[in-house]
Amino acid sequence: METNLFTDRSLWTMMHGIVLSGAALMALTAAIFSLRMLYAGKASNTVTKIQSRYMVSLIVFMATMLWLTVIVGTYITFPPYRAVPPEGLTDLSMYPKAMLQANAGTTWLHSFAMESKEHVPWIATILATAVAFISVRYRSLMISDDKLNKLATWLLGICLVLVSYAALLGVFVNKVAPLD
Amino acid sequence: METQEKLNTQTVEEVKNGAAMAAVLAAAIGSFALGLIVLFKALDLLSIPAIYEPSGGVSGRTTLAVIIWLIVWGILHFRWKDRQISYQNTLMLSLILIGGSIVFTFPPLWGLF
Repeated sequence: METNLFTDRSLWTMMHGIVLSGAALMALTAAIFSLRMLYAGKASNTVTKIQSRYMVSLIVFMATMLWLTVIVGTYITFPPYRAVPPEGLTDLSMYPKAMLQANAGTTWLHSFAMESKEHVPWIATILATAVAFISVRYRSLMISDDKLNKLATWLLGICLVLVSYAALLGVFVNKVAPLD
Repeated sequence: METQEKLNTQTVEEVKNGAAMAAVLAAAIGSFALGLIVLFKALDLLSIPAIYEPSGGVSGRTTLAVIIWLIVWGILHFRWKDRQISYQNTLMLSLILIGGSIVFTFPPLWGLF
Protein backbone atom coordinates (compact mmCIF):
# COMPACT_ATOMS: atom_id res chain seq x y z
CA MET A 1 0.00 0.00 0.00
CA GLU A 2 1.39 3.38 -0.96
CA THR A 3 1.66 5.90 1.86
CA ASN A 4 2.09 9.61 1.40
CA LEU A 5 4.78 10.40 3.96
CA PHE A 6 4.88 14.16 3.42
CA THR A 7 2.25 16.56 2.18
CA ASP A 8 3.12 19.59 0.05
CA ARG A 9 2.41 21.79 3.07
CA SER A 10 4.85 19.95 5.29
CA LEU A 11 7.52 19.87 2.57
CA TRP A 12 7.24 23.65 2.10
CA THR A 13 7.41 24.13 5.86
CA MET A 14 10.62 22.10 5.95
CA MET A 15 11.97 24.04 3.00
CA HIS A 16 11.19 27.32 4.79
CA GLY A 17 12.30 26.41 8.30
CA ILE A 18 15.17 24.02 7.77
CA VAL A 19 16.64 24.36 4.28
CA LEU A 20 16.39 28.11 3.63
CA SER A 21 16.37 29.49 7.17
CA GLY A 22 18.98 26.92 8.25
CA ALA A 23 21.24 27.87 5.37
CA ALA A 24 20.81 31.56 6.21
CA LEU A 25 21.69 30.95 9.86
CA MET A 26 24.78 28.96 8.98
CA ALA A 27 25.89 31.52 6.42
CA LEU A 28 25.30 34.36 8.89
CA THR A 29 27.44 32.64 11.50
CA ALA A 30 30.15 31.87 8.98
CA ALA A 31 30.12 35.45 7.66
CA ILE A 32 30.47 37.00 11.13
CA PHE A 33 33.25 34.59 12.04
CA SER A 34 35.08 35.21 8.76
CA LEU A 35 34.73 38.99 8.99
CA ARG A 36 36.38 39.03 12.39
CA MET A 37 38.89 36.30 11.66
CA LEU A 38 40.19 37.89 8.48
CA TYR A 39 40.39 41.34 10.03
CA ALA A 40 43.75 42.06 11.59
CA GLY A 41 44.04 45.84 11.61
CA LYS A 42 46.77 47.26 9.42
CA ALA A 43 48.00 43.77 8.65
CA SER A 44 44.72 43.20 6.81
CA ASN A 45 46.25 44.95 3.82
CA THR A 46 47.29 41.47 2.79
CA VAL A 47 43.67 40.46 2.24
CA THR A 48 43.63 38.65 -1.05
CA LYS A 49 41.27 38.64 -3.98
CA ILE A 50 40.36 35.04 -3.21
CA GLN A 51 39.53 35.80 0.42
CA SER A 52 37.38 38.78 -0.41
CA ARG A 53 35.66 36.92 -3.24
CA TYR A 54 34.68 34.09 -0.87
CA MET A 55 33.52 36.63 1.69
CA VAL A 56 31.35 38.48 -0.82
CA SER A 57 29.88 35.20 -2.11
CA LEU A 58 29.08 34.07 1.41
CA ILE A 59 27.33 37.30 2.34
CA VAL A 60 25.35 37.47 -0.92
CA PHE A 61 24.36 33.82 -0.46
CA MET A 62 23.21 34.58 3.10
CA ALA A 63 21.07 37.53 1.99
CA THR A 64 19.58 35.47 -0.85
CA MET A 65 18.65 32.67 1.56
CA LEU A 66 16.99 35.22 3.85
CA TRP A 67 14.95 36.66 0.98
CA LEU A 68 13.83 33.18 -0.07
CA THR A 69 12.99 32.35 3.55
CA VAL A 70 10.73 35.36 4.06
CA ILE A 71 9.10 35.06 0.63
CA VAL A 72 8.35 31.35 1.06
CA GLY A 73 7.26 31.97 4.65
CA THR A 74 4.94 34.85 3.84
CA TYR A 75 3.47 33.66 0.56
CA ILE A 76 3.57 29.85 0.69
CA THR A 77 3.54 28.51 4.25
CA PHE A 78 1.63 31.31 5.99
CA PRO A 79 -1.65 31.03 3.96
CA PRO A 80 -2.40 27.42 5.02
CA TYR A 81 -1.38 28.31 8.60
CA ARG A 82 -3.98 31.10 8.81
CA ALA A 83 -6.74 29.37 6.81
CA VAL A 84 -10.14 29.65 8.46
CA PRO A 85 -11.84 26.30 9.22
CA PRO A 86 -15.43 25.67 8.13
CA GLU A 87 -18.10 26.45 10.71
CA GLY A 88 -18.64 23.66 13.24
CA LEU A 89 -15.47 21.71 12.44
CA THR A 90 -14.14 20.04 15.58
CA ASP A 91 -10.90 18.56 14.24
CA LEU A 92 -8.71 21.64 13.75
CA SER A 93 -5.47 19.77 13.01
CA MET A 94 -5.44 21.10 9.44
CA TYR A 95 -5.92 24.68 10.64
CA PRO A 96 -2.93 25.55 12.86
CA LYS A 97 -3.91 29.13 13.71
CA ALA A 98 -7.43 28.13 14.71
CA MET A 99 -6.06 25.20 16.68
CA LEU A 100 -3.67 27.43 18.65
CA GLN A 101 -6.38 29.99 19.36
CA ALA A 102 -8.86 27.33 20.49
CA ASN A 103 -6.78 26.44 23.53
CA ALA A 104 -5.99 29.03 26.21
CA GLY A 105 -2.61 27.38 26.86
CA THR A 106 -1.46 27.77 23.27
CA THR A 107 -2.95 31.15 22.33
CA TRP A 108 0.39 32.87 22.94
CA LEU A 109 1.94 30.79 20.18
CA HIS A 110 -0.11 32.81 17.74
CA SER A 111 -0.48 36.17 19.50
CA PHE A 112 3.20 36.35 20.40
CA ALA A 113 5.24 33.80 18.43
CA MET A 114 3.58 33.95 15.05
CA GLU A 115 2.86 37.69 15.22
CA SER A 116 6.60 38.21 15.83
CA LYS A 117 7.56 35.78 13.08
CA GLU A 118 5.46 37.67 10.56
CA HIS A 119 7.63 40.78 10.77
CA VAL A 120 10.99 40.28 12.52
CA PRO A 121 12.60 38.20 9.72
CA TRP A 122 11.84 40.99 7.25
CA ILE A 123 13.91 43.39 9.36
CA ALA A 124 16.81 40.93 9.31
CA THR A 125 16.46 40.51 5.55
CA ILE A 126 16.55 44.26 4.89
CA LEU A 127 19.64 44.67 7.08
CA ALA A 128 21.36 41.67 5.48
CA THR A 129 20.73 43.11 2.03
CA ALA A 130 22.47 46.33 3.06
CA VAL A 131 25.52 44.34 4.16
CA ALA A 132 25.45 42.32 0.93
CA PHE A 133 25.43 45.55 -1.07
CA ILE A 134 28.37 46.91 0.93
CA SER A 135 30.31 43.68 0.42
CA VAL A 136 29.78 43.78 -3.34
CA ARG A 137 30.65 47.48 -3.65
CA TYR A 138 33.60 47.66 -1.26
CA ARG A 139 34.83 44.03 -1.48
CA SER A 140 38.17 43.61 0.36
CA LEU A 141 37.75 46.99 2.08
CA MET A 142 35.03 45.42 4.20
CA ILE A 143 37.65 43.10 5.61
CA SER A 144 40.57 45.50 5.87
CA ASP A 145 38.84 48.71 6.94
CA ASP A 146 38.19 48.81 10.67
CA LYS A 147 34.99 50.85 10.47
CA LEU A 148 33.36 48.95 7.63
CA ASN A 149 34.32 45.66 9.22
CA LYS A 150 32.73 46.62 12.54
CA LEU A 151 29.66 48.02 10.82
CA ALA A 152 29.10 44.80 8.90
CA THR A 153 29.75 42.71 12.00
CA TRP A 154 27.22 44.73 14.03
CA LEU A 155 24.52 44.43 11.41
CA LEU A 156 25.10 40.74 10.80
CA GLY A 157 25.14 40.15 14.56
CA ILE A 158 21.72 41.80 14.85
CA CYS A 159 20.51 39.70 11.91
CA LEU A 160 21.77 36.52 13.57
CA VAL A 161 19.92 37.29 16.81
CA LEU A 162 16.68 38.16 14.98
CA VAL A 163 16.77 35.13 12.69
CA SER A 164 17.61 32.77 15.58
CA TYR A 165 14.74 34.24 17.60
CA ALA A 166 12.27 33.82 14.73
CA ALA A 167 13.53 30.30 14.03
CA LEU A 168 13.10 29.28 17.66
CA LEU A 169 9.54 30.63 17.71
CA GLY A 170 8.89 28.73 14.49
CA VAL A 171 10.02 25.52 16.12
CA PHE A 172 7.61 26.13 19.02
CA VAL A 173 4.68 26.79 16.70
CA ASN A 174 5.43 23.85 14.44
CA LYS A 175 5.84 21.52 17.40
CA VAL A 176 2.33 22.27 18.70
CA ALA A 177 0.49 22.98 15.45
CA PRO A 178 2.41 21.51 12.52
CA LEU A 179 1.42 22.14 8.93
CA ASP A 180 0.81 18.48 8.02
CA MET B 1 51.08 34.20 -6.47
CA GLU B 2 47.61 35.60 -5.92
CA THR B 3 47.16 34.38 -2.37
CA GLN B 4 50.24 36.30 -1.26
CA GLU B 5 49.41 39.36 -3.26
CA LYS B 6 49.09 42.64 -1.40
CA LEU B 7 45.93 44.09 -2.86
CA ASN B 8 44.30 46.58 -0.67
CA THR B 9 46.15 49.61 0.55
CA GLN B 10 43.22 52.00 0.24
CA THR B 11 41.06 53.00 3.17
CA VAL B 12 37.37 53.72 3.09
CA GLU B 13 38.19 57.43 3.58
CA GLU B 14 39.92 57.45 0.19
CA VAL B 15 37.19 55.47 -1.52
CA LYS B 16 34.26 57.47 -0.01
CA ASN B 17 31.99 55.66 2.38
CA GLY B 18 28.75 57.41 1.32
CA ALA B 19 27.28 54.43 -0.52
CA ALA B 20 27.82 52.16 2.48
CA MET B 21 26.36 54.67 4.92
CA ALA B 22 23.37 55.23 2.62
CA ALA B 23 22.71 51.47 2.47
CA VAL B 24 22.90 51.11 6.24
CA LEU B 25 20.77 54.14 7.10
CA ALA B 26 18.19 53.27 4.44
CA ALA B 27 17.93 49.72 5.81
CA ALA B 28 17.46 51.12 9.31
CA ILE B 29 14.78 53.55 8.08
CA GLY B 30 13.04 50.73 6.17
CA SER B 31 13.08 48.55 9.28
CA PHE B 32 11.75 51.42 11.38
CA ALA B 33 9.01 52.02 8.83
CA LEU B 34 7.99 48.36 9.10
CA GLY B 35 7.95 48.67 12.89
CA LEU B 36 5.76 51.78 12.74
CA ILE B 37 3.38 50.19 10.23
CA VAL B 38 3.03 47.12 12.44
CA LEU B 39 2.51 49.24 15.56
CA PHE B 40 -0.10 51.47 13.91
CA LYS B 41 -1.92 48.40 12.64
CA ALA B 42 -1.88 46.86 16.12
CA LEU B 43 -3.34 50.09 17.51
CA ASP B 44 -5.98 50.18 14.73
CA LEU B 45 -4.60 53.47 13.47
CA LEU B 46 -3.65 52.18 10.03
CA SER B 47 -4.95 49.49 7.75
CA ILE B 48 -2.83 48.37 4.84
CA PRO B 49 -4.71 46.19 2.33
CA ALA B 50 -3.34 42.75 1.55
CA ILE B 51 -1.60 42.45 -1.79
CA TYR B 52 -1.99 38.66 -1.64
CA GLU B 53 -5.26 37.79 0.05
CA PRO B 54 -4.33 34.26 1.28
CA SER B 55 -1.43 35.78 3.27
CA GLY B 56 -3.56 38.60 4.65
CA GLY B 57 -2.34 41.97 5.87
CA VAL B 58 1.27 40.93 6.39
CA SER B 59 1.75 40.88 2.61
CA GLY B 60 0.69 44.53 2.37
CA ARG B 61 2.61 45.71 5.44
CA THR B 62 5.91 44.13 4.43
CA THR B 63 5.57 45.21 0.80
CA LEU B 64 4.94 48.81 1.83
CA ALA B 65 7.98 48.75 4.13
CA VAL B 66 10.15 47.32 1.34
CA ILE B 67 8.97 50.05 -1.05
CA ILE B 68 9.75 52.77 1.52
CA TRP B 69 13.17 51.21 2.15
CA LEU B 70 14.05 51.07 -1.56
CA ILE B 71 12.91 54.64 -2.22
CA VAL B 72 14.87 55.99 0.77
CA TRP B 73 17.90 53.95 -0.29
CA GLY B 74 17.75 55.31 -3.82
CA ILE B 75 17.54 58.90 -2.61
CA LEU B 76 20.32 58.52 -0.02
CA HIS B 77 22.55 56.64 -2.42
CA PHE B 78 22.17 59.28 -5.09
CA ARG B 79 23.00 62.08 -2.62
CA TRP B 80 25.79 60.37 -0.64
CA LYS B 81 27.60 58.04 -3.04
CA ASP B 82 30.48 60.43 -3.70
CA ARG B 83 30.69 61.85 -0.20
CA GLN B 84 32.37 60.99 3.07
CA ILE B 85 29.65 60.55 5.71
CA SER B 86 30.14 60.38 9.48
CA TYR B 87 30.45 56.73 10.38
CA GLN B 88 29.75 57.29 14.08
CA ASN B 89 26.58 59.35 13.59
CA THR B 90 25.20 57.03 10.92
CA LEU B 91 25.83 53.92 13.00
CA MET B 92 24.28 55.44 16.15
CA LEU B 93 21.20 56.69 14.29
CA SER B 94 20.84 53.36 12.50
CA LEU B 95 21.10 51.36 15.72
CA ILE B 96 18.44 53.57 17.34
CA LEU B 97 16.10 53.08 14.37
CA ILE B 98 16.73 49.33 14.26
CA GLY B 99 16.13 49.13 18.02
CA GLY B 100 12.86 51.02 17.55
CA SER B 101 11.77 48.66 14.80
CA ILE B 102 12.42 45.63 17.00
CA VAL B 103 10.51 47.19 19.92
CA PHE B 104 7.55 48.10 17.70
CA THR B 105 7.26 44.55 16.34
CA PHE B 106 7.34 43.01 19.84
CA PRO B 107 3.68 42.01 20.46
CA PRO B 108 3.68 42.26 24.30
CA LEU B 109 4.53 45.97 23.98
CA TRP B 110 1.57 46.79 21.75
CA GLY B 111 -0.67 46.96 24.80
CA LEU B 112 1.49 49.67 26.34
CA PHE B 113 0.80 52.24 23.67
